[in-house]
Formats: sequence, structure tokens, C-alpha cells
Amino acid sequence: MEPKRRVAPAGWRKVSQALFFGVFLFLFFKTDYAGSDELKWAVNLLFRIDPFLAAAVMLAAKTVVALMLSALITVVMTLLFGRFFCGWVCPLGTLIDASRKLFGGSGGGVHPGKRHLKYYLLVILLTASCFGLQLAGYLDPFSLLVRGFAFAVHPALDHATASFFTWTYQSAPDWVNALTEPVYALLKRHLLPGTGRVYALSVFSLVFLLAVLGLSAVESRFFCRKVCPLGTLLSLCSRFSFFRLAGGSEDCGKCQVCQAICRMGAIDGARRIASMECILCLDCLSQCPRSRIHYGWKSASTGTQTINLSRRAVVASLATGALAPLVSPTRLLARRADPQLIRPPGAQAESMFLSLCVRCGECMKVCIGNALHATWLEAGLEGTFTPRLISRIGYCEYNCTLCGQVCPSGAIKQLTKDEKHTTVIGRAHFDKNRCLPYASGIPCIVCEEHCPTPDKAIKFREVEVENSTGNRVRLRQPYVLEAFCIGCGICENRCPLSGGAAIIVTSEGESRKEEVLVTGGY
Amino acid sequence: MDRRQFIREIFLWSVGATLTIPRFNILPEALAAEKQASLLSLAKGEDSAALVAQVLRQLGGMAQFVRPGDRVVVKPNIGWDRSPEQGANTNPLIVKAIVAQALEAGAKKVLVFDRTCNEQRRCYSNSGIEKAVNELNDPRAVIEQIDQRKFVPVNISRGTALTKWEIYKDAIDCDCYINVPVAKHHGLSGLTLGLKNSMGVLGGNRGNLHHDLGQSLADLATVIRPRLTIIDATRILLRNGPQGGDVKDVKKLDTLIASTDPVAADAYAATLFGMQPDAIASTVAAYKLGLGEMDLARIKIVQA
Repeated sequence: MEPKRRVAPAGWRKVSQALFFGVFLFLFFKTDYAGSDELKWAVNLLFRIDPFLAAAVMLAAKTVVALMLSALITVVMTLLFGRFFCGWVCPLGTLIDASRKLFGGSGGGVHPGKRHLKYYLLVILLTASCFGLQLAGYLDPFSLLVRGFAFAVHPALDHATASFFTWTYQSAPDWVNALTEPVYALLKRHLLPGTGRVYALSVFSLVFLLAVLGLSAVESRFFCRKVCPLGTLLSLCSRFSFFRLAGGSEDCGKCQVCQAICRMGAIDGARRIASMECILCLDCLSQCPRSRIHYGWKSASTGTQTINLSRRAVVASLATGALAPLVSPTRLLARRADPQLIRPPGAQAESMFLSLCVRCGECMKVCIGNALHATWLEAGLEGTFTPRLISRIGYCEYNCTLCGQVCPSGAIKQLTKDEKHTTVIGRAHFDKNRCLPYASGIPCIVCEEHCPTPDKAIKFREVEVENSTGNRVRLRQPYVLEAFCIGCGICENRCPLSGGAAIIVTSEGESRKEEVLVTGGY
Repeated sequence: MDRRQFIREIFLWSVGATLTIPRFNILPEALAAEKQASLLSLAKGEDSAALVAQVLRQLGGMAQFVRPGDRVVVKPNIGWDRSPEQGANTNPLIVKAIVAQALEAGAKKVLVFDRTCNEQRRCYSNSGIEKAVNELNDPRAVIEQIDQRKFVPVNISRGTALTKWEIYKDAIDCDCYINVPVAKHHGLSGLTLGLKNSMGVLGGNRGNLHHDLGQSLADLATVIRPRLTIIDATRILLRNGPQGGDVKDVKKLDTLIASTDPVAADAYAATLFGMQPDAIASTVAAYKLGLGEMDLARIKIVQA
């Protein structure tokens, strides 16, 4: 071996991947309250440079989302330089690369396989968006990644850390704690969520993410090759890219190293590199024994590649995308929405909300009360992973406006504190069969104590009742003053009854309204 | 005497001897019943540091309570995500002045904390108390977010409504516990004062205490024994307590109360709201347990 030379080009790619993954993690950790009402960092940056989400959202909502226009940068850069984004920037791609060895580490592959299916998928997704059914968030690489991290990885890390340091705190001698406690304090301050957190669909989101990583066992970068809709969109752009990799040819040698190592299977037997598939990882450039491969202005010799899409399948995809939304109005929830489905404050009216929401999980990550959780099927199949408030788990903090600040698409509007104070997300009502002052004549009114509106939405009457032991007692029975209630859910959250609360918030009276007349009335 | 009889006699003698030993269970309060009237120090003024200095001076200075090397806990009310002007939390300047006094008296460490009702970080930040303590810029003054590991189960042997609960370790372990509540309205208990402020050192589901709040607070006061209670009445919240939110409900009184008798402090503070001490159930219950004086006539008020 010759002495150390300068860093190989593929090494620079790795540096870039590490750097952008670091940026991703940094923004992820900063997606949290940090002592002021406004977040300092553009923590949703990743979702604003994603042209796939931008296209899907704008098509579905028939509106321009200014925050996401920055995605054009990615498109233009790809038109110039090819799919560098997938190879150099995408944090999910980095994670897939990094975890490749864990899953058997199948190397590059030759098989172009069913690679064209992803184009049909993209057609279906974008057409469906056009017709008002926006499903982009399910498969978008960033949404998928952030959900997995926010719902499962980060909270699990927190619980593991807390368990370890609780163990040292309780059983280790003082000199050990003198070392471990400052470490724990530092971790808590910078890397861990404020308090132990739980999330709906946490395991599911993790399995989803692991499945994407695990597909590497079939083929390296399987998800990027055959599924990722963002990658597919970029691949369409990179078809025309001005700069690309080239240099190998049928007669350049017999080694075929480039073809064997290509993680995207982008190099064929004739050593032609398909720019649509190539993510510019530069492995071939670095490892070609004759250094024949180089990156430069596209030459005539590189030729163009075809995707071999069947016309019939494209038409079928278009039809699927266009027809699928037609089924939506046949469901029960088209007539009456689930009253337990409480959307975050500032959320758009439901159909607009579903069009805009990219299921990125940012609002649930940032929610200071751990109140926002991923919806399962309560909002229909297309509503999975959208945020909803579960008051018994966490309540909406009265002065907090973070969810609107991190939403990349405006599905949750950014509210000022004053707007937030008057935005109704639901209303509370009592279950008098369980509420202690009503049901058993026991004083309580913890709900009244916690009600945050300056003129309390929960008031009480002083009454004399016979309690469960037969004595007459004077006590205070609470009631809700609807005009003041904004549905924050702190009453339901703090109700001291075990099990279900005796005061329950439903979406009744929410501020966001559909334009259409309410159906199901008379 | 055979073996059997020997054992029987030993047994009977033992039982007899045990039963005849007089079992005294004298409450310390009963022995101290004849001590002089409870002292209550009162001061009025706009300058928080001067107010604190004055109420303490009237009680003999902070050195009476904090000895050099003491681990001190200052326990304000930081319960709510509210600004100082809204009167739902203890005035940060009062807290700062008390911590400063404790440091000056030679405390080894002054710990400030509260188990908040709203989200902890927001309460610490927006109450202004975190900033106020950090402004002292003294490594001995620490404001700490609640650490769940520090809640330890404590038997409350004299309790009737409350016999066992998880209590924050530092509140019990420390050498000097200074309770610094803010005086304000409360829907269930009428007012929240010193005894109610002690709930901020409790773990678990505190909502359950509300079933018999007055007695529970008195029971709690048998184990949480502040060496000094300083009631912040610089701003008092008259309505929509305990968290308020409307400055119209806040009245500026510029008053500070201090006493070593937690019951006397609460009893007097009630009068600031035009209420009698016996209108507050916890005051009455604590008085009955002999934890302090609630009869205003028997409380000696010193005021400059």
C-alpha cells in the first residue's frame, strides 16, 4: 500500500453524510421548549426542502405553501448535479447506509428488478393528492424517520438512561454518583426530553422504520431504489442533470468492480451509469482500478436511459390515484367526525388539515405537554399519524404555541399567544355519575383549580348533599361554562379518579369549521 | 419447678412487667404549651430586598434560622405558568432576597424547587424565579427541577387523613426549610397560604388530597416543619385562584409576613383578604393538632 493520500472522493461523501445527519439530530433535539415561547431554530428545515412533500401538499390543498417553496432549491440542484441529495444529504439514506451491515450487508446488486414500480407509486400518490387524498406522509423518508425517532427511539433512550441513572443513584456509592450525576444532568439538559414521554403508535412507527432499514437485507438501499417517492421525484429530475458520473465502458476492462459495488444497482453490464439511479456515492469513482470513472459535464457518450414504464400501468396508476378519493365520502366519518378526535390548536378545518399535514410528527415531538399523539384510524385510513390531543395522557399547555411553530406545511397555523387563548379545540363536560362531589358527596374540584382561562370555565355551586355514608355535607359541585372553555384538557388530565376521568373533552364547539354546511343535522 | 412451669412463669412475668411500664406519648407541643405568644413579623414597602431584610431583622435576623454550613431549602410557589404580575407564583424578587440572606448567613447550599402544576420548565422560566436565583450568580444557590428519584415514602404517624405519602427528600433532609408561599385565592380551600404551599414537595397523585384537604394539609404539617414561613403578600390574588391570569384580580399590598409559627402566619394572612383565620380549614386543623397558634389575640405582631 502506498502511504496515505488525500481523502478519497467517497470519503468526502461520508463526511457530508455525517455532517447532515448531525444537523438532523441537532434540529431534532432542538425541537423542544428551551425557555422561551419562540423556538430559535428552524427545526422543520428538512421538511421544507422536500420537493415531494411540497408537491403533494400543494396539489392537495390547491394552494401555495410559502414555507415549502425552498424545496425548489433541491429540485434545481438535482437538475444540475444529479441525485446527490440521496447520497450526500438524506439522513434516512445515511441511516440505511450505516445500518447495512446489521442486516446482512448484501452488497451492491446488478438486478434492476422491479425498479419501475416506484414511478407508478409516485404517480398514484401525486394524482391522489391532486384529487384531495394526500398520502405523502406515509412513505416520505423524513416523515418516516422523524416519526420513528420522535415516537420510539428518543423516548426509549430517555427511559433507558433514566433507569440506569436511577440505579446508580439508588445503589452506587457516593463517589460513583459524583461522576454520574453531572453526566445525567448534562444529558437531561441537552439530549433528553424534559420528562419521560409516551407516544401512541410508538412501536408501530419503530417497526415501520426498522422495516425500511431491514430491507437492505434484500438489496442494499432497497427503499431508495424501489420505494422512496422523494428519491423517485429526484430521479426524474436527475434524468436531465448536467453533471453525472461516467467513464466505464464495455471494453474498459474485465473487473466490473463498479457494477459489483454500486449500492443502487445503477451500473449495467456495459458499465453505463444510469443517472436516474445514481446517487453519487462515488464508490465506483474511488474504487475503479484504472480510475476511469469521473464526475463531469454530461457527454453524448453517456446516452439517456429509459425507465420502461408501461403505458397501461401509468394509466392504471393515474386512475387509481384519481378514483381512490371517491371512496372517502362513503365512510361513517364523512357524516359525523369522531368526537374524540381533537386536533391541535390552530389546526385547519379537517379536509384542509388532512391535505396539508405531512405526518412528520414534529408537532408531537415538540408538544410540551406530551398531549399530541399519532391518530390511528379515528380520522380514516388516510388520517393515520396525524396529530390528535389525548387529554388523559397530556393536556394542551395554555400559553404554549409550539405546535404551530414547527408545522412545516401550515396544517397547524402559527398562533400568537392571544389567538391561542381564544382558539377552541373542544369543550369539556362532566360525567356526574363518577364525579366525586356529585356521585359520592366527596369534595374535590381539582378541575376548577387547574382550569387556566383567566375567568374560569369551570365554576362551582355550593350545595348541601347527602354523601355516601348518609351524612349531610356542604360541598362544591363543579360545572362547565361553555363560553369560556377552550378544550385544553387539563381538567381531564388532572381529574384524580383512577381510570377514566369524570370530566371529558370532546371536539364539540371547535373553532375550525368546514366551509360546507354541517351534514347529519336536520 | 419443672421446665414447663419455669417457661410459663417467665412468660407471665414478662407480660406483667411489660404491661406495667408506663407508656408516655407526650407531644412536644403539649410540653411547650406554656411558651410565650407566637411572634409574627410584618413589613410593608416596595423594595423586596428591604422588605425581606426587615421582616427577618424583627425576628432576630437570618442567623437565627440559618447556621453556617446549613443545607437550606427555600420553597416558593412556582406552580403555574404565569408571570410575576399575575400573582399566581411567589414574587421572584422576594425569593431572590431570601436566598441571598441565607447565603449571607453562611449556608452551604440553598436549594429552590417546587413541584409545579403546569409544565415545569415553563413555570420556572415564566415565574421569573429561575432567572432571579441564577442572577445571584452563586454556585451555592441552586434552582432544581423536580427529580422523580428523590421522592421517598414517609409515614405520617400523627396523620388522620394522610398517613403516608411520597415526599421530596431535600424537604425532609435539609437543615433549614423556609416556606415562601404567595397569598392567594383558592376555589376549594378558600385561600392558599403556607400549609397549602407544602403540597409542592409531594409526589404522587396530589388530587386525591382534595377529598379532605384541610386535614390532609394539617397532617402534612406534622412532618414538613418549616423553620420559617415567609408569606409573600406583595401581590395577592383575590379571585380565580390559584392560578388567576387576569391582573385585574391582583391587588398590590407590598406586604411581607414572617413567622416561625406556620399556623400563625396563615392565620394572620387570612385577614389580608378580609377573612377570619377559622375560615381556612387547614389553619383550624393544624391548630387543633397543636402545630401553632391561630388566635390573633395571642399572636404578637411586630411591625416597624
